[in-house]
Amino acid sequence: MSDVVVIGAGIAGLTAANHLVGQGARVTLVTKGIGGLQLGQGTVDVLGYAPERVERPYEAIDAYVQQHPEHPYAVIGADGVRRGVEVFSGLVDGLLAGDADANRLFPTAVGAMRPTTLVQPSMVEGECVVGKRYCIVGFTRLKDFQASLIAQNLGRTSLAGGRVDARSVTVDFVAREGESDSSGVSFARALDDAGNRRRLVLALKGVVGAEEVIGVPAVLGLNDPEAFADIARQLDHPIFEIPLPPPSVPGMRLNQHLIDKAKRARGRFILGSKVIGHADADGRLRSVTIATAGHDTVIPADSFILAAGGFESGALTLDSYGAVKETVLGLPLVGADNPELIHGDYWGREQPLFKVGVAVDASMRVLRAASGHGDGEPVYDNVYAAGGALAGATRWRDLSGEGIALGSAVRACDAILQANGGAA
Amino acid sequence: MRGYKAVLVDRADLAQGTTGRYHGLLHSGGRYVVSDPRSATECAEENAIITRIHADAVERTGGLFVSAPGDDPEFPDRFAAGALGTGVPCNEISVGEALRREPRLNPGISRAFEVQDGSVDGWQMVWGAANSAIQHGATVLTYHRVTEITRDGDRVSSVLCHDEKTGEDVRIHCHFVINASGAWAGQVAHMAGCPDVQVVPGRGIMIAMNHRLVNSVVNRCIHPADGDIIVPVHTVCIIGTTDVKVEDPDKLAIPRGEVQQMLDAGEVLVPGFRQSRAVHAWAGVRPLVKDTRVSASDTRHMSRGMSILDHEERDGLKGLLTISGGKLTTYRLMAENVVNAMCEQLGDKRPCTTANEAVPKSESGTTYVITHRLHDREGDRLDDQIICECELMSKKMFVDAMESQPTASLDDLRRQLRLGMGPCQGGFCTLRATGLALDHERIDIVRATGLLRLFLKNRWIGLWPILHGDQVRQTALDDWIFRGTLDVEHLPQPESEVLV
Repeated sequence: MSDVVVIGAGIAGLTAANHLVGQGARVTLVTKGIGGLQLGQGTVDVLGYAPERVERPYEAIDAYVQQHPEHPYAVIGADGVRRGVEVFSGLVDGLLAGDADANRLFPTAVGAMRPTTLVQPSMVEGECVVGKRYCIVGFTRLKDFQASLIAQNLGRTSLAGGRVDARSVTVDFVAREGESDSSGVSFARALDDAGNRRRLVLALKGVVGAEEVIGVPAVLGLNDPEAFADIARQLDHPIFEIPLPPPSVPGMRLNQHLIDKAKRARGRFILGSKVIGHADADGRLRSVTIATAGHDTVIPADSFILAAGGFESGALTLDSYGAVKETVLGLPLVGADNPELIHGDYWGREQPLFKVGVAVDASMRVLRAASGHGDGEPVYDNVYAAGGALAGATRWRDLSGEGIALGSAVRACDAILQANGGAA
Repeated sequence: MRGYKAVLVDRADLAQGTTGRYHGLLHSGGRYVVSDPRSATECAEENAIITRIHADAVERTGGLFVSAPGDDPEFPDRFAAGALGTGVPCNEISVGEALRREPRLNPGISRAFEVQDGSVDGWQMVWGAANSAIQHGATVLTYHRVTEITRDGDRVSSVLCHDEKTGEDVRIHCHFVINASGAWAGQVAHMAGCPDVQVVPGRGIMIAMNHRLVNSVVNRCIHPADGDIIVPVHTVCIIGTTDVKVEDPDKLAIPRGEVQQMLDAGEVLVPGFRQSRAVHAWAGVRPLVKDTRVSASDTRHMSRGMSILDHEERDGLKGLLTISGGKLTTYRLMAENVVNAMCEQLGDKRPCTTANEAVPKSESGTTYVITHRLHDREGDRLDDQIICECELMSKKMFVDAMESQPTASLDDLRRQLRLGMGPCQGGFCTLRATGLALDHERIDIVRATGLLRLFLKNRWIGLWPILHGDQVRQTALDDWIFRGTLDVEHLPQPESEVLV
């Protein structure tokens, strides 16, 4: 018997599982596939755009939810988000750095300056500040990092008070001998090796100028936690990583760390098993059934956290007739009855479809027949939702994805722990 | 090829207006054996010629005509008789054999006929013909919009074009103009002072599914109707089509109702069609010449045959012919006929040789097969990079195409390379292609970034009307990449968007 079943292994699910096991709960995490952390940029966004660029995210949340009462932050609240981010920072043991109160700008792989709140230590030197001189170094054999595109876009971007200076070079650092099309992950694995790191440092020393900061693709080591520090020490020169399109090496670092941590604390982690059924009684969910080899497996628990993500993970679907469904537990959705779920203006207003999701109360319990968050009765007394399943946000536009995931996951955990008398 | 000096002008990219906007079918003629016997015979003859001269653009998939449950039981016999009468090769096969060839086909079909349908890449075919013309001394000017046709007395004397990429005007002095502008033929003829050329645009929508649910063309054995065909083309298969008269060939919607109609029709031929993944949709127009014998709103039954208007007879203007109607399969015959008509007016006897000479890259006569690119990438995978994994497009293919067309947009290159046409719809290749285009050093950062924005916007035109199922998941991932991780939206805003 588990105290809690967590469904989904993205940032919300892994954080919930770790936070709960840390408080002594017996947790089973079930997931259909590997989580979405490995698809993102590996930083923590709280609120990036509202829609103008946000400088102090926690301070901006109140005004933002005034304008967007449908947003999950309306029930999570600035303090809830802050608590979620703090819990997460504690769980990742130094994998994240930064001032949680302020957004700072960091270069993206297309050369945009993107606001975020916490970054990995390997990204810190990239912060966009007036007068900085970037040397963006691409690798000939890595196609997902187009150095001249990044440098030229950085160089033409205005910051308050001036600009940065950026140039690009390309070095032929070989990740795998005989291969001219290596993935970012191959590069990262190669750089887990000290010999390869020495080769890279030599190549970088050959191209960088005295006053410059080196920007490289975010592939400086995957499993060796010392890889970046080793490169930075040998180089004796500021260097930083720029996240690539998926798969995301910085995301994989966080992902692996959180899975290992949960397992070490005796959490059960069941990968590759889809939830295919559930049983309820007396207003409570009693168990979920997962597909496992040979026979289905029933997992009973006291509480359940749905952290299976949104449309990007397949937890929410739109069928060919236009019906939107929550595929894990068949929960009711908010916003699905909009007659215009998708429109043709690509650069224009948000797509209503991507704001569809479940509504929750202040404890993150999923609500029935709700018009929005905080309105209605819980579907079950013991089913909570966190992360991408929540209605009301286009997380890739306001850059609130991690803030929502962490704020809601930790709020749900706290509610569960409290309901069970403070300790599970 | 007949020794004339020729300039081809197109207001956009070649085949962008109509020829590329179809379902990819190289007709066996079977579709017309009952409704339009003359077209059927023309198709059967031209099918063999196109397969020969455009081998690299044609896949010899073969085709089936099948009677689905509820279809008119009388039609198949008329179909078989029509095929015999029109010379369209056709052979009835057992239902079991049809299901063996196409396992996803509806097991409830009652009859099946095999025909010689194929699929043809319209862009590849048109570029093959254009490159052949260039080899013979012609000039090809894309993105040159005709703005004026001048006359000298009763003769055509010049054509004025506006270069949409550079903004310059180009005047071409000439003795003869062939107006082959399809649904826009009336507008072009009007510029020469020839009014009332009536071309009725008949809009049809098509939907590409993310893989080949069928490996041969599957037609319903009924009178031509909406959604009566699925064509396997390259890595996808395409269902078509609808037919609705429209006013303006430049304004083509993809209405939700018609999308539902196509999905229902797909379900009849291939059960489970709605659970498959639709990746893209588009609309095209049939340039049908108005025929007083049918109602002006019934575009499907207007002549699919070609018609040539001699403006000397019609309007007293020498040196201008308009050709319209027809279909992609008979494009070569249309060209032959209109040039014959020109020779006649010029009193010049020069025979046509287009049926005998393969276009560049088709000389070997080896037709396209689906595994071609896989074979090529097996050869160069250690030395080159794959920029578009969905369509197995290599870096060299992209750089070479960029080299030959430095002013190309990513969409221009897409039409030749299939960049971004697979399931991810540009999610992974767009960034790479933009970087390569910039490194090519013929364009600056403003244009490179503009091309990226334009490509994403244009992909969306064909995505949002059909978005459902797994493609929603893909779109969410693509949005995470471009808006979330890369923050493309907050790059410096262009003073004006790149449009071509």
